[in-house]
Amino acid sequence: MVDPIVPPFAFVLLAAVLLPFVGRRVGHALGLLATAAVVPYVWFVPEGAHLATQLFGFDAVLFNVDAFSRLMGLIFGFIGAVAVLYSWASEADAPQTAFALGYVGTSLGAVFGGDWLSLIFFWELMAVTSTALVWYHGGRAIRSGFRYAIFHGIGGTLLLGAVVWHYAEVGSFLFTASPDGLTGAVAPLLAAVGIGVNVGFVGLHTWLPDTYPAPHFAASVYLCVFTTKTGVYGMYRAFPNGEIAIAYMGGLMAVFGASMALLQDDMRRLLSYHIQSQVGYMVAGVGLGGALATAGAFGHVFNHILYKSLLFMTVGVVIYRTGKEDLNDLGGLARKMPITAVTFFVAAFSIAGFPGFNGFVSKGMVIVAAHEEHLDVLWYLLLAGGVGTFLSFIKLGYYVFLHGEYDGAVRDANPGQSVAMVATAALCIVYGLYPPALYALLPGSFAYHPFTPDHLAEGFLLAAAGIVGFVVLKTPLKKTGLAPDLDRLYNPGVFYGSRGIVVAVTEVYAAVDEAVVDLTRKTVRAVKDPNGVAASVTGADSVDLRAGFGTSILLVMVALALALVLLL
Amino acid sequence: MSDLAPFLIALPILGSVVALLIGLARSETGWPVAVVAMIGQTGLAAWLAYQVFTGGPIEYVVGGFEVPYGIELVIDGLSASMIVLIATVALGVLAYAHAAGPRSNPFYGTYLLLVAGLTGVCITGDVFNMYVFLEITGLAAYALVASGRSGRSAVAALKYLIVGTVGASLFLLGVGYAYIATGTLNMADLAAKLAAVGYTSTLVQTAFAFVVIGLFIKVAVFPLHTWQPEAYAGAPDSVSAFIAALVSTVGAYALARMILSVFTVDFLAANPLARDLLVAGAMVSIVAGSALAVAQTEIKRMLAYSSVSQFGLVLAALSVTNRTALIGAAVHLVGHAIMKGGLFLTAGLVATGTGARTVDGYEGLSDRMPIAAGAFAVLALAMVGVPPMVGFAGKWYIALGAIEAQIWPLAVVILASTLLTLAYFARLIERMYFREAASVGDGPTAEAETGSPTGDAVLADGGRVTAGMYLAVLAAAVLAATLGVAVVEYGRLLEPTLELLLA
Repeated sequence: MVDPIVPPFAFVLLAAVLLPFVGRRVGHALGLLATAAVVPYVWFVPEGAHLATQLFGFDAVLFNVDAFSRLMGLIFGFIGAVAVLYSWASEADAPQTAFALGYVGTSLGAVFGGDWLSLIFFWELMAVTSTALVWYHGGRAIRSGFRYAIFHGIGGTLLLGAVVWHYAEVGSFLFTASPDGLTGAVAPLLAAVGIGVNVGFVGLHTWLPDTYPAPHFAASVYLCVFTTKTGVYGMYRAFPNGEIAIAYMGGLMAVFGASMALLQDDMRRLLSYHIQSQVGYMVAGVGLGGALATAGAFGHVFNHILYKSLLFMTVGVVIYRTGKEDLNDLGGLARKMPITAVTFFVAAFSIAGFPGFNGFVSKGMVIVAAHEEHLDVLWYLLLAGGVGTFLSFIKLGYYVFLHGEYDGAVRDANPGQSVAMVATAALCIVYGLYPPALYALLPGSFAYHPFTPDHLAEGFLLAAAGIVGFVVLKTPLKKTGLAPDLDRLYNPGVFYGSRGIVVAVTEVYAAVDEAVVDLTRKTVRAVKDPNGVAASVTGADSVDLRAGFGTSILLVMVALALALVLLL
Repeated sequence: MSDLAPFLIALPILGSVVALLIGLARSETGWPVAVVAMIGQTGLAAWLAYQVFTGGPIEYVVGGFEVPYGIELVIDGLSASMIVLIATVALGVLAYAHAAGPRSNPFYGTYLLLVAGLTGVCITGDVFNMYVFLEITGLAAYALVASGRSGRSAVAALKYLIVGTVGASLFLLGVGYAYIATGTLNMADLAAKLAAVGYTSTLVQTAFAFVVIGLFIKVAVFPLHTWQPEAYAGAPDSVSAFIAALVSTVGAYALARMILSVFTVDFLAANPLARDLLVAGAMVSIVAGSALAVAQTEIKRMLAYSSVSQFGLVLAALSVTNRTALIGAAVHLVGHAIMKGGLFLTAGLVATGTGARTVDGYEGLSDRMPIAAGAFAVLALAMVGVPPMVGFAGKWYIALGAIEAQIWPLAVVILASTLLTLAYFARLIERMYFREAASVGDGPTAEAETGSPTGDAVLADGGRVTAGMYLAVLAAAVLAATLGVAVVEYGRLLEPTLELLLA
């Protein structure tokens, strides 16, 4: 056991601050060490709430260790180290990796926070650092980064509202103060929508495929891991006992994401839609509640981080070596890039849930949990999502690595990239073949046997359906152009809407301003020339407002009469 | 020592007669006589006030005729404050008048007569007597206003005379109604008998209406203020300062005395409309007075309208009638007398030094007369109510009282009055400190060219700025700035008096 001295985000953020100043090589080594150190550190720290402190005058816990946060910390630390290695090998600048480490550090801060206040604090910082990471690339990434920032600003504000409401109900930010998650009339709804932005609820998801293909390919490896998975973790903290509506939303996400992915030609955009689809399984698991579903959700978080980062790494290598992002420009790379191709297919089989790979285990847990609850609609949705995943990865693998021949010389991944990819791919297979290794990390007690004939048959059937489907759909898919998503609708909506608001506000201001200036001018005139104004009001040629003798006495008498009338 | 009370009235009257008689032999001897009389008066007033604040109210029956038939003099905490104020201000204005004039003996005779009248109003315990003293005050004031040797002074005095006499007559009619109802004129006796007759009796209500409207004229409550701006602006500077500081103040004191001691708080409770009448008068006065002050171009007229507004505040306190508000009223009566007297004296000083009598004439005054400009600024800021000056203290207590009584519209108007006061003083301060003078000595010539009615008014007063004038102005400024500190202690001293009045 190790005593908790500092919260795990501390040395990652320290590395992030030092990185730009110590040179690229040393800096990346430092970052690798700092993130790798998180893995044993959180493994050996005993469970419990450590480093209780005061944040903005409220009780807060900076290092809260339980089964959930430990799992998140382990995988975040591991993949952070792999990604730093990959970044170094992929010629990423020191500042970019510094932003990325800031993003990793704040994510760690969010998952190890033992209270809503530190969670929301790091949550917002995470949005800031990830936006910076996107912006750093420049070019097209700037516009995407703006949209990303707006989405996460709104989402974070909604979650903040939920947290404040929760505080008003409970009187404490600590998780321990309310074991049933967020309370209060409106807080859960606000939290669901706020966190829904982060996990990519259907309708709130457009930032995801918009942003992740935009920056440097090494930055995408970070992006695909932290924001959505921290969102799943936050969703669990908000709804530890599940919420069936969220489960159905997860099912929708699985199908919607996979279907949209199928229509994409940009490799990273395709992968981004798959994040939504895969996170749908996790959200479904959290929404279902119960030991098996929750464990399945977090197992899927763990596995997904492995294979999704691996996918982004392999695709990144393809982009790195060929400079092309579009499927249609590629093909037949399997012979030229064997390491990349093999690791890609490991990841593809994993994400598709083929038996023997890690995705099969955890996805199966969520699907079985839905089945046990007799939620047939949800069950079919999740299965359909699986077919769609097979379809789209057959498409991706086929067109990039198998179909046709690639003209010109292409080298395989460099040694650094290869180490990162092979290590991750190995874990995908290890956890796929020996699930107890995964179970040991998962929270709660549950019984699940992945390799029963039923489950195996299910896996092979889905794969077969995928292959058949791809053969049938191959030609029509080729003919579909760019598939529009909802953002085609609301990007212009937001633009013209906000322009309308700005114009309206400006016009109202101008009108008020004019009225005030006019009133002031009239007042000044009345003050300077009261007689003249009175004359113009009454229409007389000239008026003397000073009361003469007679008027004075008249006023006295009127006042007296008034007083008498009033009193008597 | 209560036998000294009648001398408060006798001494200035004696001084007045002496000044007149000596004047037959030698002219320009009035000032020393007045100074001697006023020093004596100040000592006497201070002594009696000390007695009152340490030993309780002094009652003195004139000529041995027993109350309720005889005439009684009563000095309580409120009247003690007033007599000290009257004596002090009169002495201060004398210091100014030494050089500024007017210098004639009849002027000083009238001046002392006015002091006698003012003091009499404050210490009498008899309502008819109060009428007499109000008339003495009035007549002396008309004469003083007319002492400026210009047509404008004469017209102003005539208007003041006519309107003021109507006011006094209405007061007398009111007293008559009260007498018909009760058969007595002694204040304490009246209070008891009016209660016996019943506060809702038509006679009593009529009496109240006549008395209050009559005194509204004396206080110059809008719209019965029409005599006041001309009277203040048309009179010589010394006279303006004197009557602006004291005459309306004593009118307000008389109103307070009639409402609190004669009709009492119970009358207001029984006739909510009577209270509404006072509240309405206060609110209209505060707002209209300020608005009119902003519209003025002549300094003294502006200050006069400012008084309309400030007495609105005092009236507000009288309409609230709780302890906090009444402390505020007493503080503001004293504070306003010092501030407004000081402002008129400073205006006179500036007119003497530069000839400037208009708002525009004050441009760049801080370069030409730095001390006068500084004093004016201090007094103006005190009037606006900058803490911890005396103007703030009075206004604060009155506002607090209104809030305690939960008369919200009044509270809002009182608080807004600060802003309104700032409206007319800020532009003067801005002109004095942040603008350059148009050209050297443009004041008198500019006025002559525009044919301003002030042109002939008061340059006759004297053309020399003296140390005495500065002394009076600075004393007022220092008092305005520092008296605020003593307000809490003063409020404590006033407590027993207020307890009696509110009982």
